[in-house]
Amino acid sequence: MEPPNLYPVKLYVYDLSKGLARRLSPIMLGKQLEGIWHTSIVVHKDEFYFGSGGISSCPPGGTLLGPPDSVVDVGSTEVTEELFQEYLSSLGESLFRREAYNVFENNCNTFTNEVAQFLTGRKIPSYITDLPSEILSTPFGQALRPFLDPVQIQPPGGSPLGRPNGQS
Amino acid sequence: MAENGESSGPPRPSRGPAAAQGPASAPAEPKIIKVTVKTPKEKEEFAVPENSSVQQFKEAISKRFKSQTDQLVLIFAGKILKDQDTLIQHGIHDGLTVHLVIKSQNRPQGQSTQPSNAAGTNTTSASTPRSNSTSISTNSNPFGLGSLGGLAGLSSLGLSSTNFSELQNQMQQQLLSSPEMMIQIMENPFVQSMLSNPDLMRQLIMANPQMQQLIQRNPEISHLLNNPDIMRQTLEIARNPAMMQEMMRNQDLALSNLESIPGGYNALRRMYTDIQEPMLNAAQEQFGGNPFASVGSSSTSGEGTQPSRTENRDPLPNPWAPPPATQSSATTSTTTSSGSGSGSSSSSATGSTVAAANYVASIFSTPGMQSLLQQITENPQLIQNMLSAPYMRSMMQSLSQNPDLAAQMMLNSPVFTANPQLQEQMRPQLPAFLQQMQNPDTLSAMSNPRAMQALMQIQQGLQTLATEAPGLIPSFTPGVGVGVLGTAIGPVGPVTPIGPIGPIVPFTPIGPIGPIGPTGPAGPGSTGSGGPPGPTVSSSTPSETTSPTSESGPNQQFIQQMVQALAGASPPQLPNPEVRFQQQLEQLNAMGFLNREANLQALIATGGDINAAIERLLGSQPS
Repeated sequence: MEPPNLYPVKLYVYDLSKGLARRLSPIMLGKQLEGIWHTSIVVHKDEFYFGSGGISSCPPGGTLLGPPDSVVDVGSTEVTEELFQEYLSSLGESLFRREAYNVFENNCNTFTNEVAQFLTGRKIPSYITDLPSEILSTPFGQALRPFLDPVQIQPPGGSPLGRPNGQS
Repeated sequence: MAENGESSGPPRPSRGPAAAQGPASAPAEPKIIKVTVKTPKEKEEFAVPENSSVQQFKEAISKRFKSQTDQLVLIFAGKILKDQDTLIQHGIHDGLTVHLVIKSQNRPQGQSTQPSNAAGTNTTSASTPRSNSTSISTNSNPFGLGSLGGLAGLSSLGLSSTNFSELQNQMQQQLLSSPEMMIQIMENPFVQSMLSNPDLMRQLIMANPQMQQLIQRNPEISHLLNNPDIMRQTLEIARNPAMMQEMMRNQDLALSNLESIPGGYNALRRMYTDIQEPMLNAAQEQFGGNPFASVGSSSTSGEGTQPSRTENRDPLPNPWAPPPATQSSATTSTTTSSGSGSGSSSSSATGSTVAAANYVASIFSTPGMQSLLQQITENPQLIQNMLSAPYMRSMMQSLSQNPDLAAQMMLNSPVFTANPQLQEQMRPQLPAFLQQMQNPDTLSAMSNPRAMQALMQIQQGLQTLATEAPGLIPSFTPGVGVGVLGTAIGPVGPVTPIGPIGPIVPFTPIGPIGPIGPTGPAGPGSTGSGGPPGPTVSSSTPSETTSPTSESGPNQQFIQQMVQALAGASPPQLPNPEVRFQQQLEQLNAMGFLNREANLQALIATGGDINAAIERLLGSQPS
């Protein structure tokens, strides 16, 4: 029985604040944040991410954000492209519908974490998933919460996930 | 075995003692472990023997997930679990989570039921869904920044076809192939609010005479339109670009299937001639009669709900700047096709008179504009039609009720992107302008060909003035004001109603020009007095200098003076606006509005109406 193909899975990490968070967070929040992280999963030569428009995909580095600020190697997966599309469609109908986007509770990083675990069994680095709680644990963050909550982030340049090709 | 011991030890300390006994007692006795199975939608815990195979595991869970075992795909740590493997082999121990994907053989359409096609072709639900095209070839980053302003860039994409319907098709194709552009359009709140009002949509659709003919011929369409559920669904679909694409692909697929059925091709052809052609013509004519509808025009996106029927014949928003728009529309406008020949020849002649000092004035004097204006003056019926179209009226009503929106739309027009000063000027004039648009006097004046001619003459006079006596121009207003004034009087008059979003450019004076209507018949008679407006202008300029950033006040005065000059009256002594509004100014002062200059502006703009002036002042403060 031939060994199944292993596909590499990468995590693209973008700093939405482009360095501002690192500089201003000590002053504004009282604690040091290295960045406001937006992440996406790159597998099967496509980048997948979750935003206010639902799950979207694009060529790697193809959003308006440009190339990622850092790339984390998550591991490898045997999951085929077809199976993955199937999985994503299900996700897109359940936990990650476009209306389900919430910048604190259910955001791009939540999605990436789920997908990473599905694909490889590993989670994404905790500094990314801890970001909302880090912010909300500061008085400034608490004060800003009602304003930040309705924020919808959707990096332009991708297209929403349609029906997978040739799915029987 | 040692393996068993260490596996169940850490996660479940309570089972520690049991585990310790486990290996000691019968190794053959299988331990039950609890494994969580997680699907994209839910997760469940299952207790299975530790040494079970994947196959057995699948059987245990298949009942719960209501699927066949061969539909289940289990993934753990990135590996796909094959039936003949065992859980232990993959290291699946107690308390760990395994991922499950349920393969569906015949994946049903995930969308809500589609509105039944008027022609009766039901898209087969079993049709193979096609993949979403992720090609963002020509529409990548420039449109990433959203907002309909991005559509202006389309003209640079090389849509070279002059035939308008081809252009339209091209645009549609571009639009359809670029989902994020669709998304951008759909997410424009204006479009969304438009689309979410089924009554409005229905009115818009029904208002089109072609559509009405269509309805008469095919009563099912009227059923569709009157059924609020279907309308709402349609609007939902129209709003959700992914859904719309999906649906249209399905329709295409169904159509192509139809073709292959014997006799189906004829049915298709009939369908096309019955439905598509009139719709296409309707869409074209509507667009052709509305050449100045620029980005964000509600009338064009109003037609966008047609996709529920056969093919998508959206007249898409016109992203082009006025000059190319006028030229293309001039050449292709169906109702004025005869005028285009004469229009283009005269345009070259008039083009040479374009010497306006002001950039804005020059826009409106471009050959394209001139030719269009010629056509319009030759065909007042066109304007009448345009203005009387109920959608125009409702659009204008909604615009006048929502001045911010109107400002938004207008300012998005490519006309103004080059001249922010003009934008600033336009902004406060908008509400007044919209009021005037609805004034029936205005409308009748606009459809009066003689009135149009008079306006043209005035504008020409002003242009001549600009070239002959540029010294006069600065006295109106440095820079922008001239454009405001010059183009105000001008043939922008007829142009403006076509697309209030387009070159609205100062339409306010048209109100006071209303009185020109009755003097219109005197117009041709006084064509010889093309000269007199010159000196008259010079005599009236002193009064203009008092309020440089002129709004409708000095415009009005100027117009009045010109009218009187045309009628042979001597230039009147118009009191200084400060004097005129002396009393009001004092009142405003007493109320606490201490900025005399601003008060004066406001009073002039509102013609001495204190309450309106106060609102103006209050409204302008936060900005």
